[in-house]
Amino acid sequence: MQYILWPMLAFLLLYIGMAVRGPSMWDRMLGMNLASTKVILIILMVASLQDMGFLLDYAIIYALSGFIGTLFITMFWGTRKRREKEKRDGTDQ
Amino acid sequence: MELTSNIIIIIGTVFMLFGAIGILKFRSFSLRVLIISKIDTVGAVTVVIGVALRHGISFFTLRVLLLLGILLVVNPMVTHIITRTAHVSGYNLEEDRGQDDT
Repeated sequence: MQYILWPMLAFLLLYIGMAVRGPSMWDRMLGMNLASTKVILIILMVASLQDMGFLLDYAIIYALSGFIGTLFITMFWGTRKRREKEKRDGTDQ
Repeated sequence: MELTSNIIIIIGTVFMLFGAIGILKFRSFSLRVLIISKIDTVGAVTVVIGVALRHGISFFTLRVLLLLGILLVVNPMVTHIITRTAHVSGYNLEEDRGQDDT
């Protein structure tokens, strides 16, 4: 069971690598979001191995905060890029 | 009970392995989002169920199931938000699709 942690860590590093390498900004957002899912799973496994129940609350909070973070970033950058696009096209969709 | 949960967790990890392969194979954003977000949610859900099974009926399992519910709701929603904002803010999918043919 504890040997499953190593591939999980490898996936985490892979997704962070994808986020770093991703050509577009949205690739990066996706990579970081998936990396946070991996972190949740690692916390979950450590909690079940060590039988520490309180770690699960951290995993839940981490899942929600990752979601909210992504939400705000996309809202912020979305409107900014849309304004640039409208300026570029000169039309107001 | 211990064995079955371990097997389920291994299956979940194998799903995530497909996700990792998906990243290396697909270069264009649209294909990547489509495939990897689904595979990752499935892999995560399988691992969470495996961990829940490992502890039988207890408060620990209740919290794990709560986490499962959150994961099921949050993951697809985040992927949708990212893709929709990318599309709305003018991320050009046509020039992006060409990348994958190389």
